[in-house]
Amino acid sequence: MGPLSREVWAQRLGAFRASPSAFMAGPEAEDLGRDLLGDLRSEKLSEQTKVSLLALSLEYPAQLWPDASAAEVAATSLLDTLVLLPPRPSALRRPLLLAATTALAGGGALGPTSGASCRLLPLLLGLAVGSDLGRGFVPASEQRPLQATACECLRELESCKPGLLGGSLGLLRGLLGQEGPVQPLSLLLSLALRNTLVLQSRAGAGLGALLTARVSPTGGGPWDWTLVEEGDGHLQPQAPSWPVAEEGEGECSLTAREHNPEEARELRAAVAQLLDTSYLLTPVAQAQLLWLLGWALRGLQGQPPALFKPQLVRLLGTAQLTLMHAVLALKAAFGEALFTAQDETLLLRRLTLAAQHPALPLSTHLFYLHCLLSFPENCPLGPVGEEAAPLLLGPQLCRGLLPSLLHEPMALLARLHLLCLLCAEDEEEEEKGQLPSPGHYLEELLASLWQRAALEGGPRALATLCFQASYLVARCLAGQPTVLTPLIHGLAQLYRARPMLAPHFVDLLDHVGPELREPLKVVLRQEVVSRPGRDEALCWHLQMLARVADGDAQSATLNFLQAAAAHCTSWDLQQGLLQVCRALLRAGVGGGLVDLLQVLARQLEDPDGRDHARLYYILLAHLAGPKLGVALGPSLAAPALASSLVAENQGFVAALMVQEAPALIRLSVGSHEVKGPLPVLQLLPEALEPIYSLELRFRVEGQLYAPLGAVHVPCLCPGRPARPLLLPLQPRRPAPTRLDVHALYTTSTGLTCHVHLPPLFVNFADLFLPFPQPPEGAGLGFFEELWDSCLPEGAESRVWCPLGPQGLEGLVSRHLEPFVVVAQPPTSYYVAIHLPPDSKLLLRLEAAQADGVPVALRTDDWAVLPLVGDYLRGLAAAI
Amino acid sequence: MAQRAVWLISHEPGTPLRGAVRFSRRYPTVEKRARVFNGASYVPIPEDGPFLKALLFELRLLDDDKDFVESRDSCSRINKTSIYGLLVGGEELWPVVAFLKNDMIYACVPLVEQTLSPRPPLISVSGVSQGFELLFGIQDFLYLGQKNDNELNTKLSQLPDLLLQACPFGTVLDANLQNSLDNTNFASVTQPQKQPAWKPGTYKGKPQVSISITEKVKSMQYDKQDVADTWQVVGTVTCKCDLEGIMPNVTISLSLPTNGSPLQDILVHPCVTSLDSAILTSSSIDAVDDSAFSGPYKFPFTPPLESFNLCYYTSQVPVPPILGFYQMKEEEVQLRITVNLKLHESVKNNFEFCEAHIPFFNRGPITHLEYKTSFGQLEVFREKSLLIWIIGQKFPKSMEISLSGTVTFGAKSHEKQPFDPICIGETAYLKLHFRILDYTLTGCYADQHSVQVFASGKPKISAYRKLISSDYYIWNSKAPAPVTYGSLLL
Repeated sequence: MGPLSREVWAQRLGAFRASPSAFMAGPEAEDLGRDLLGDLRSEKLSEQTKVSLLALSLEYPAQLWPDASAAEVAATSLLDTLVLLPPRPSALRRPLLLAATTALAGGGALGPTSGASCRLLPLLLGLAVGSDLGRGFVPASEQRPLQATACECLRELESCKPGLLGGSLGLLRGLLGQEGPVQPLSLLLSLALRNTLVLQSRAGAGLGALLTARVSPTGGGPWDWTLVEEGDGHLQPQAPSWPVAEEGEGECSLTAREHNPEEARELRAAVAQLLDTSYLLTPVAQAQLLWLLGWALRGLQGQPPALFKPQLVRLLGTAQLTLMHAVLALKAAFGEALFTAQDETLLLRRLTLAAQHPALPLSTHLFYLHCLLSFPENCPLGPVGEEAAPLLLGPQLCRGLLPSLLHEPMALLARLHLLCLLCAEDEEEEEKGQLPSPGHYLEELLASLWQRAALEGGPRALATLCFQASYLVARCLAGQPTVLTPLIHGLAQLYRARPMLAPHFVDLLDHVGPELREPLKVVLRQEVVSRPGRDEALCWHLQMLARVADGDAQSATLNFLQAAAAHCTSWDLQQGLLQVCRALLRAGVGGGLVDLLQVLARQLEDPDGRDHARLYYILLAHLAGPKLGVALGPSLAAPALASSLVAENQGFVAALMVQEAPALIRLSVGSHEVKGPLPVLQLLPEALEPIYSLELRFRVEGQLYAPLGAVHVPCLCPGRPARPLLLPLQPRRPAPTRLDVHALYTTSTGLTCHVHLPPLFVNFADLFLPFPQPPEGAGLGFFEELWDSCLPEGAESRVWCPLGPQGLEGLVSRHLEPFVVVAQPPTSYYVAIHLPPDSKLLLRLEAAQADGVPVALRTDDWAVLPLVGDYLRGLAAAI
Repeated sequence: MAQRAVWLISHEPGTPLRGAVRFSRRYPTVEKRARVFNGASYVPIPEDGPFLKALLFELRLLDDDKDFVESRDSCSRINKTSIYGLLVGGEELWPVVAFLKNDMIYACVPLVEQTLSPRPPLISVSGVSQGFELLFGIQDFLYLGQKNDNELNTKLSQLPDLLLQACPFGTVLDANLQNSLDNTNFASVTQPQKQPAWKPGTYKGKPQVSISITEKVKSMQYDKQDVADTWQVVGTVTCKCDLEGIMPNVTISLSLPTNGSPLQDILVHPCVTSLDSAILTSSSIDAVDDSAFSGPYKFPFTPPLESFNLCYYTSQVPVPPILGFYQMKEEEVQLRITVNLKLHESVKNNFEFCEAHIPFFNRGPITHLEYKTSFGQLEVFREKSLLIWIIGQKFPKSMEISLSGTVTFGAKSHEKQPFDPICIGETAYLKLHFRILDYTLTGCYADQHSVQVFASGKPKISAYRKLISSDYYIWNSKAPAPVTYGSLLL
């Protein structure tokens, strides 16, 4: 395809800019990047059009060249275009350099193995140094602007790959000392210096050498990929946010390495050189330089911050936001080391006057006010990171910064915050001078705000402002009854005047602390229920009441609702009414509410309303308090967009139905203990989350045992060992079995859950019970008697029981100890086992050999013989 | 320190979107750093459409505030600076620096070089002030000397190229865009000496220095026992120095006559090279006494090419230039008003113009007016419910003039008379508008002989002065009026 015309490109660029994502989803997306690169070399397009193409690539390289390899190809192509430009002045050189830099840095292709990087870097450095690149590459008239541009490109690359120019420090310093363009070189050098200081403390490269050498001492060109790698490719904040933890890692790594006197001197000289010429920089660039150098030298030994001092007076006098901000950054970086107490006072005074100076715009005032409340004090007292009035900022200093009704909303709020902070201090200090009391002023200001918000037809913004102010005061002065009482009174009055602000009141109640919330709720409830209930503003009253109604003042509330019910003719009013009922239900109001709900269930016109009232009535009649609370609580499952009814129903469903849930508990069988007349299974429950009212139900397969009772546990918490649960078994036949286990429990969110747990196995040995112990010495006779009684109905057998390394004695003591009747250790044991319900098993273990023992056994229940055989043969393996 | 993106949005009430993006610029290399620094809290820069919508909503410019919307109206969403969090696509983009001026919204998003959760304090984000300065610079470029929409459009079309100069990679190099424009023009100049970055070239031609002092006086007068009247002078000294050489040095001294009011709260242009500590510390925060520094105020500087504000100051003069009272009383269907104004004898009685505007808020159009005035003429703007008393060039010999009368109003219509939240009931004000040429209230002047210029050639020095009223209110003394904390200091 041939080159596109100017018009086609204009159209295409317009379409792209209107919505890049839509364009990239369209058919032309794929070719855009390639066409753009191609048409840059077209002779038919004007330079102006080409500049607009390059401008697009400066903003959207990721869309044009989505991966690193595409970016590499693009950068190569852009560099080729640059080289091929005819040797006459052209508007394309500068944007081409910027575009190639953006493509590499933005596309993630920048690196030692990238061909384009290896072409761009020497080119940029050559341009920055002003060396002759041959073949009239740079027309004389463009030399200086391109030198500056090359510096900017290098600075951007250094920002994206900190340490890259570590090897060029000496070179840049030399240039700055000669006749290079001051600003680009100063900014580039200070950034490279800062990054090197951070990285070399890890790498251990000699700073002195770097600062003086004209070529990289590390070899491999003036750019330093080794230093980049030392930084692990981590970006370095050029101006770290404070407060930084004093002993934290990041920043303090700067102090990790001490510089020798030689290095320290070189560093000081370099910084002084930069600062001395800083007045030649534009104010924004001066500010960047100060941020960079300030945080670079912070905490470095042998680098007195006094270097900055000569600049401060000049900076403090200016009205420039960036410069004042940079001074504050220096203050934060060095504190007392640079600013004595007097300096701090002066700075604070300048800041205070700048925050109200009539010649400065509002946004500047507001930012300075923020700076005042976050002022980096030499000796801060309050908690870090919280806005507070600096210690030195007394009422005298602040009097021009206090709010008045004539201020813009943001200014009013910012100044109100300051006033609140002053009031808080005033309370503490009780120091009264000639100044009017801030507390009194605050009260009057709030009164005016309420008055304004109460105006019929006033815009919502006024109401919002009034509530924001009330919230701010409540938050800052929560502990002061002298402030809260008029606040509550004023808000109640506001509600009386303009009930349509109910949503704002509800929002306020949701956000303030209990100091204001609880008394305000009471007052607002009184405000509502004292009305006749047939107000025009009934819908607002109901909305208000739904938030403030609780167990108190029930009869007044119910009277109001009863009166209101007659006027709730529309669907939304009925819903409002039901919302209040619901709130009362949750608060556990019973008595009168039952009557009201019954009336509503009959009288409401809207069937949906009637259904709801009936539902509430049924819930109230059938559910106990806590369950009711959960049933009516906000539904966790409801999606945000569903209607309130759907959400509500889902809430009920969730709360009132048993949920099938993944198992939050595990159950295992503990060791076998022989106690009492019945075999008992010891269960060890374990919870993964706190659960309550756990009920475990068991079912025996095949009716081998009598039905098992449920086991109840009031509460299980993870990590807290529970007592073992004892499950008595009543076998109908002496046989092992499998227990089916179900669990039912309540979660901490109030849901009732059901879960089917993995089955538990009751082993043959779990059923073993001992016979009553015969008197001393009568053991043998007792055993013989049992032995003889087994035949003829029973069965006799012989089984070879393998022995493990522990021998016969070990085996008996581990498995059969409680049942031994006659023992002649280590060779002979007579064992009598009672198998519930009424069988017996008798074992003679005699004449043990090294690998086993012959066991003679008798039982009166022949059905157990195979079980016994399996049991005995498995003993050796069962440790 | 860098910016991730910059926007210029025109606020167009009445159009479907209520606004349009007039210019936007994104910085992908900065965006890449933002993604790394912000980590999990990173929120990408949205496309222009969603950004426009979110910003207008946040600035309350969508004029649909009929209903309570929590994300905008909640009491806990308190914004105390022009820096916002915008909800875009369910995520909050922060910090967005934005302000509205002359129906144009200026916005940018500075890079924060750390995680955004928890949010670092704004004071510690270097990009915030840089962003503000860039936006102020764009604003100055668009509106200084701009006369009509065509000029604005021309300037808007220059913005992409200028920003390519002034902020090629998102880090601002010069907030003064005029410099960038000149830079292109001065491109061929190569200077062996150090050239300041804020001075793109050198002046060639007749040397001349022009100094102009403009004082604005504002006042709040209540005519009440328990509330003090307040007034303040705010001065701006503007210079234009056409001098040859790269770094000519100039020193301008501002002087006061005997009994002149000391200058306070002095803020200077960054080109001022040094400041006397007396200038730095003289502040309106302290009570003025006789020992206050009263000049001369010396400002040594190296001037930039363009016209610039050398310094700003405030001053507390002993009396307001015009003292007045305004009484307004509702009498059944009409309002009875009485106004009395007195020019102080020390003030130059030679105005370019002098008018008293008497607006009536939250009322209908004026239907009937009867009045008597001792001096000047009264103009009636019935639909705007406004009276303008044109006093003219001079007060009479007595220096005192008065106006009294009754006004009747028709029914209120909301479209024509916008709601005013302050002037409710009898709370009302009149506002004075006046201008006096070749005069300053403080007496401050730039002595032509004290201007020192260290440059080749003897420059022609011209000096101008004027006094303008600004926010000069006289409140109805028969009703409550909004007060400042300062008015309570009796």
